[in-house]
Formats: sequence, structure tokens, C-alpha cells
Amino acid sequence: MEKQSTLFTGIFGAFIISCGVMVLLPSSQIGALQPQVTWDEGQNSPSDVYPVKLENALGRRPGQSVYAENGCFYCHTQQVRDPQYGADMERGWGVRRTVARDYIFQSVPLLGSTRLGPDLANFGSGTWRNEHHDDRRAPAKRDAAWIYKHLYSPKSNFPDSNCPPYPYLFERKDVGGQPSPDAVAVEGNHQVVPTADARNLAKYLLSLNSSHELKESPTVIKPKEAKK
Amino acid sequence: MTTTQHTLLATSLGTAASVQQPTKSAAPAPQSAKSAAPRQVTQRDIENVERALIDQSARGPVLTFFTTGIFWLLVSVVLGFIASKKLHVPEYHSTHSWMTYGRIWPAYTTALIYGWCSLAGMGVATWLIGRLTRVAIKAPGILQWGAWFWNAGVAAGVITILSGYNSGLEYFEMHSAAKLCMFIGFLLIGVWGLILFRYKRTAAPYISVSYLVAAFLLFPLFFGSAAALDSTSAMTGVMKNVVNAWYQGGLFNLWFGCIGIAAAYYFIPKVINRPVYSYNLANIGFWSWVFLGGLTAMTKLSGGPVPAYLVTISIAASILLIIPIVTLTTNFMRTMKGHTESMAYSPTLRFVFVGTIFFSIAASLNVLSALRSVDSYTHFTPWAHGQVHAMVLGFFSMVMFGAIYYITPRLVGCEWLSRTFIKWHFLGTAYGGGTIIALFLLSGIFMGFTLNEPAAVEEPSGTAIWNFFNVPQNAGFCNAVKTYIGYFFFGIAQFIFAIHFLFMRLRIGQPAGEPTLFANPGEAH
Repeated sequence: MEKQSTLFTGIFGAFIISCGVMVLLPSSQIGALQPQVTWDEGQNSPSDVYPVKLENALGRRPGQSVYAENGCFYCHTQQVRDPQYGADMERGWGVRRTVARDYIFQSVPLLGSTRLGPDLANFGSGTWRNEHHDDRRAPAKRDAAWIYKHLYSPKSNFPDSNCPPYPYLFERKDVGGQPSPDAVAVEGNHQVVPTADARNLAKYLLSLNSSHELKESPTVIKPKEAKK
Repeated sequence: MTTTQHTLLATSLGTAASVQQPTKSAAPAPQSAKSAAPRQVTQRDIENVERALIDQSARGPVLTFFTTGIFWLLVSVVLGFIASKKLHVPEYHSTHSWMTYGRIWPAYTTALIYGWCSLAGMGVATWLIGRLTRVAIKAPGILQWGAWFWNAGVAAGVITILSGYNSGLEYFEMHSAAKLCMFIGFLLIGVWGLILFRYKRTAAPYISVSYLVAAFLLFPLFFGSAAALDSTSAMTGVMKNVVNAWYQGGLFNLWFGCIGIAAAYYFIPKVINRPVYSYNLANIGFWSWVFLGGLTAMTKLSGGPVPAYLVTISIAASILLIIPIVTLTTNFMRTMKGHTESMAYSPTLRFVFVGTIFFSIAASLNVLSALRSVDSYTHFTPWAHGQVHAMVLGFFSMVMFGAIYYITPRLVGCEWLSRTFIKWHFLGTAYGGGTIIALFLLSGIFMGFTLNEPAAVEEPSGTAIWNFFNVPQNAGFCNAVKTYIGYFFFGIAQFIFAIHFLFMRLRIGQPAGEPTLFANPGEAH
């Protein structure tokens, strides 16, 4: 009987230690983080708030659901690490490391754990790049049209790309006069245009930006330098 | 049906019903049995009948666990083959949304972890706990319901993932309704395990019982709290990822780890008919594993947007895992010392012992990849998948196969049909599974060397050679071998096993009594 109570106590103790140290302690620390608010002297409203609450009632932006549903996060991470951990910033994926405050308004941050594709934490920042700046294959700019092209046929942007195509995010429509500017392919009388899901996804991807200045995470690479 | 079998067994062996209904007090049972049967009944006869009755009481639920588990195993090897092929042929069947890598991969891991592994584990654990506590299951129907609830949850999870739902948390992607269904199922099953433990009829609990109690207590705590925190807004932001990493530690180390070790501690001494080498070592191994197992998981988030001390604690706990690894490995090896030739005969021993070797490998990988110097190469690469597969395919599945080869004949009343089938199953599982694990790890290392380099490594001619899109390609060859050798042979072996198991369910097999061995003693040497 004594043995039995030792067993139960020990097992519960192991759970309490594990839960306390790994869940409750960090939760008390970063569970209630607030946005960083900057006030300028003599002003009635803050001059700057970061991060900004963007998502709908479900806690996910429309495109974020498309991103999660199709498992983009199994290959693309959304976290930039400190230079001592890896070459994230040298590769052009961000100008500073991402910290807990960057994610406070996301109900489930899609941090990801495998980088079969590049990191996307700053995809919409304008300084994001994924190739060496001397590379002649480098596309100049990531915009919605580039994303549609990539989703429809990743190899058309990068011949070596390992990303699967997503033809089901596109639909065939009659051209009817002028082809749509978003059409990824025009075949005779038909054009292939992105669906609402693909448009939301592009909007979401272009909204990804965690390069805003934060006190706890100083900018390592100045945005201007990164641009060239 | 089960009750008639009870009575049949009891009457044919000439023992009174007192054995059939084990009472809370252990002592009077054998005495009353003795007085009821006038002819010479030895203690051994009573124990055999008792054991047969306990096996019979577990028959229905355990066979349901095994059958449905093997169904999910087949589903998962097919999905795993497709997912692996998509890594080197990304265009493979990409026109349908449910066939995209981002859905096939989580469906595969869900079917493998919650379908096959958990169901097989619960089946083996139910049978083991009945045997070890020497108590018959009084309401097998409840366990059956538990199994069906769990299965419904897994099916709902896999189908919703394929049709486009993803919680965004790795290894826990199912919809919260599916999680609730699984949780209800588990409670129906797990409560029985603990009740049996409460009414146990043996004095000193065997080390396997401690592991099983730990698994049955800790799994609902981890699963329940993680599912509750995921589906509510009690925690938002990166805390969701922290909870998920914490849950993964509980899932792999404490749920699969504990059930697998419990089975290994039962079957190795049982088959070679020899006690465990050291109970002290077993106890040290148990407590260190239970306390450290739940603390190691945050290495997954190293460098991420979480408090740094979480990762530091996990690194320390992972390094301390050396204690349970060394004690468990020593204990298994020393118990087997001088008896390794038994592996030539006994399928159970061969599977379980090779499984324990995989355990040492899987847990050592945990230690190794916690080290900052190794992690800097392996982080964000398929190395982590290799670790999970070493635990789940190498260690856990191997031990479960061994256990199923031992348990099923005792439940269905005939022996396995063909030793050749078992041989093929072993070869495919050990070498196919080993190939899968090795190539996940290897592709992780290949990728890590390039991933860790900035894009600016240049050849003397001035052209950049390590652009990002070269990185996954370095592992392309690994993925091709993994698909066509690893998953292919592993999958074939599982289909052979499933057919063999189906024969057993249909009672097509060798006559009961003589177990089907790889070779009869004396034949091989």
C-alpha cells in the first residue's frame, strides 16, 4: 500500500513539475504581453502601436487559414533566429530576431519546425529576399502576381524549387475580352485565375512583417543595408 | 460470448467458479478451488486456468485494439509512402487538394501515432495489466466502447485533415471535436487499467506495472490539458507552441516510452525465462525517465521566440536522459546476456529486443540533438522527423509487433500460420524502418550543412553556389531512397503482417500449443 501511494505521488509530482516549469512559468511571463506603445511628448494618442490586431473573430486572418489548412507551415517557418543560431538574417529573412511579442495577436502562431522552404516571417516586409543579391536569377519583387505564379507552378520562378504546385487554388474561366491581370496562364479562350482562397493567401503572405522596431529585439541588420 | 467461454473453460478444467470471479482478497481463492476439485490440482494448474480466464476476459477489447490498430498501420504506410514521394517528386498527384504534401503528411503522422501506435499500445497495455495484476476484466464492453470512441476520433481527425482542417500544431492537428472523442475513449479505457491496478492480487508490483500506471495516468493529463488549452483562448501567441512542444514530450517519452518499456520488461524475461537483471537499476531507470521525460521537449524551440530558460532546462534534462538510457540499456542487455541465441527461435524476443536497441538509439538521439553544436546543424531539418520515427517506428512499433506475436495466439486459440511471414515481416520492419529513420537523419545532416551557411558562399568564379533552393535538393537523393526502399519495404512487410493477423482472426493457423518459432530448437544449429 505504501508502495502504491509512492508510485501515484511520484507520477503526479513528475506531471506537476513538468507542467509548472514548461507551461505555467512561461505563461506567467509571456502569457499576457501587450503591444509596444510609443507616445510622443505632448500628444493625446500614441504615435505608434506594434503589433496591430488584424485578425477576425476566429483569431486567424482569412489567408492564415488557407496557409494552415494546406500545411504550408510544414516546410516554411515563421521565425527569425538570432545570428548566433544560424544564418537566418544573412540569408535575408529578417532584420532582427522574432520575439514573443510579435505573435501576441495570433491564436496559433504557425512557427513551423522544418525549413524545406525559406522562412516567411518577413515575407511582406519589402526587404525580404531568398537568394544571394548577386544571383542573376533573383526576382526583383514579391507581389501578388509573383505569389500566384509560384502557387500555380513553383518551378516557373525557381527551376529547382521543391515546392508542390497548388492547381486547386486556381480556376479556369472564359477570357471574355481582356485577360485578368492576375491570370497565371491563358490558353486560347480560357484563362487560369486565382480563387478567393489564393487571393486571401497572397494577401496574408504580403502582410507578414515582423521587422518593426521592438525594444527587446534590437535590429541587427539595418533595413537600408539589407535592401541593396 | 465471453461469458460462455468463461464457463466452458472453467468447467472443462474442473475448477470451481471461485477462480472465475477473482475476489478482492487473494488468499482464499486457491484454497476454495482446491476443496472444490477432489482430484489432484496443483498450484500450477490453478495459475494456468486463472491466466487463461484473464486472457479470455481481455480477448474482445484487445483484439479490437489490435485489429483497428493494424488497419491504421496500413493507412499510415500508404500515406507515408505518398508523403515521402512528394518530397522528391513535388508534382506527384498535386491536382487534388487532399493529396497535397501539407495534408498528406499530418494525416500520415496522425494515423501512425494516434491510429496504429496508440491503439496497439492500449491493447498491449490492457492485456499486460490484466496479466500482471492477475485480475480479470469484468466489463470488457466498456473497453470496446473506448476503442470505438478512440477510433472514431482518429478517423474524424484524419478525414478533417485531408479535407482541409489543421489546428496548426504539429502532431496534434486534429479538430478539437476529434480530440474530445478520443479523450472520452481514453477515459473509458484508462479507468479500467487503474481499477485493475487497485484490485491487484499480487504483492509487489512488477516494474512493468509502474510504467503502465505512469502511462495511463500521465497520458490523459498531457492530452487533456494540451487539448483544452488549444481549443480555448486561455493561452494565445507563442504559448500555444510552447504547450504543443510540452505535449509532444509527454506523448513520445511518457506515453509511447512508458508502454514500450513496460512491454519490453515483461516479454524479455518471460521469453528467456529469467528474472530482470537488477530491480534497483529498473527503479532508477523508471523514476529518472518519468521525471525527465516531460522536461526535454523544448529543444524543438531552440532559438525561437520563447523564453531562453525553457530551452536551457530542456537541454539539461535531455543530457540527464543519459541516466535512464544507461540503466535501461544495461538492464536489458544484462538480462539477455547468454540468451541472445534465443532470438534465433522466438519472434517475440527478436522484435522486442531489437526494439529496445532502437529505444537506446532514439533516446540517445534526444541527447545528441539537444547539444547546441549538433542542434545548429540539425534544427529545422528532417532530422527531427528521424528522431520521432526512431521512437515510434523503430522502438515502439517493434516492441508492439513482438507483443502482438505473443498475445494473439493466447486470445484466438491457434498459433501463427507461417514462420516465413513472420521472418519477412521482421526483415521489412527492421531494415525498411531502419532505412526510413537513417535517411530522415541523413537528409537532416545534408540539409543542415547548407541551411546553416548564408547564401553568400561563393565559388572563386564569383557565382553563388548555396542559394536556398539548393538546400532541399541536397536531400533529394535521400528522400528517393527513403521512399522506394524504406517506405516500400516497410509497407510490404506491414501488409504481410496484416494478412497474417487476419488469418489469426479467422482462426487459420497452426494448432494451438506449439508456438510458431523461426526455427525449432536444435533445427537451426
